[in-house]
Amino acid sequence: MKRLFLAVSIAMTLFSPFQSYSQEVIVHRDVTQQEIPRNTLRAIFGMRLRKWPDGKAIRVFVFRDDAPLHVEFSKSVLHMFPYQLRRAWDRQVYSGTGQSPIEVESLEEMQRRVANTPGAIGYLSLNRSMNSPLDKAMKVIHVR
Amino acid sequence: MFVKILKLMTVIVLVSLFLKRPVHSLTWKDTTQIHGFASQGLMLTSDNNFFGDSEDGSFDFRELGLNLSIRPTPDLQFSIQGLSRWAGEANDGNLRLDYGFLDYSLIENEAGTLGLRIGRVKNPLGFYNDTRDVAFTRPSILLPQSIYFDRTRNLALSSDGVNIYTEYRKGFGNIFYDLEVGYPKVDNQETELAFLGPNAAELGKLDPRISYISRITFEPTGGRTRFSLSGALVNIKFKPASMGTKEGNIRFRPLIFSAQYNTEFWSLTSEYALRYSRFEDVGKPTFSITGESYYLQWSYRFLDNLEALLRYDVLYQNRDDRSGDRFAATSSAPNYSRFAKDWTMGLRWDITSSWMSRIEYHYVDGTGWLPLLDNPRASETNRYWHLFSILISYRF
Repeated sequence: MKRLFLAVSIAMTLFSPFQSYSQEVIVHRDVTQQEIPRNTLRAIFGMRLRKWPDGKAIRVFVFRDDAPLHVEFSKSVLHMFPYQLRRAWDRQVYSGTGQSPIEVESLEEMQRRVANTPGAIGYLSLNRSMNSPLDKAMKVIHVR
Repeated sequence: MFVKILKLMTVIVLVSLFLKRPVHSLTWKDTTQIHGFASQGLMLTSDNNFFGDSEDGSFDFRELGLNLSIRPTPDLQFSIQGLSRWAGEANDGNLRLDYGFLDYSLIENEAGTLGLRIGRVKNPLGFYNDTRDVAFTRPSILLPQSIYFDRTRNLALSSDGVNIYTEYRKGFGNIFYDLEVGYPKVDNQETELAFLGPNAAELGKLDPRISYISRITFEPTGGRTRFSLSGALVNIKFKPASMGTKEGNIRFRPLIFSAQYNTEFWSLTSEYALRYSRFEDVGKPTFSITGESYYLQWSYRFLDNLEALLRYDVLYQNRDDRSGDRFAATSSAPNYSRFAKDWTMGLRWDITSSWMSRIEYHYVDGTGWLPLLDNPRASETNRYWHLFSILISYRF
């Protein structure tokens, strides 16, 4: 069911002729940054930068490797291929030098976990103003 | 052995179930991760033995690993991995501590990282050594044997000591540097055979001395290309078996250049290694030898879950005697035991994100990296041989 929801949401995102959707990096509300350099974002999603400037732990949430949203995010936002991220994570996980990101199954879960986890970072496709209770617990961070 | 592993697995499954409870406040439990892998291979060779009696087909190639990591604060991580490997005569499935260390980052910000790891740490050598026993992270069933040969794998695996790591993040890319100071693993039969020759047991024992390994990696922005230079200075003491004989020294200095280029559909990888060894009072007059290795590897992802591989891999035990003729003139072993040229073709199929299968074919000229323990008599080996292999692997 969650998969279906994800698939439908993504399909809507990709094929909707009327609205423009954009890939956005979302963080928990307590993260103080307003914008983030792309290279820093790559270090965060590469699981190599593990704390925010205020010392809080960074918690990374991603979709499955083959989820269209993940593929799109890797390529257009991080400028990396998903297999490169996977290789980097595996290298760290199986040599003990790092940990893997937390995988979520649906858009709803991504929103919920980022909103409820201090220091969280994730990504979504957004097409509306953020004003639901969940939205208020997270914010969009600009990539420069 | 199996009972031990089963018990360990059960404990870990129970622990992970307990950890699965949804908790939103950040506690040490949220940062606890458990991962593992299991692989089973089949080796079939036309001649010579590779990982067991492979001329008749050998299933004696198995890898099991389980790891745990905890990150109680953003600066501190504890990591441990147990590993069990079966590979012919050299590895009998003994459970060993692959790594176990405390990782403390002194500096960690947008500009870079500086940290320390204390304990048993994987040796930072080349592109693949850090996770050489994890099938999912290898480019093929067998790593390019010219550089990652199994004869001295115990030496290459991990060291007990301190590892200093840094990363500089700049606009032009990232630079990583690792320096490890510690004691390598040399006191095992396979390594002693590789360094001391077939009569290792009668000659004496090897004893590790403080050694250094370092690696610098440069990834220009985006990580499409990676360049790495790794080097080690391995010091080993030779303790002769017969009383009254002088103690000897072995200095082993491998140097590896690595480069990789990645596009969406294919990756081109190459590594070149020089291995300097100096033997001082080790059963015969002092001598030095330089080995040389390289490979060129092309992998092509024609589907998201299907990848083909083509590789040419060359090893020379002595770059001043590539043909092995000079060696053979004074030895009972044939000249082709001093080199190996390996053409490899392979196919990887990612069945799901946690199941993976591979098939692979090698055509090899020479026996330069053939495991010594699987082939005790060099005269019974054949120069030209074929190796076919299938592997299935699971990870979580």
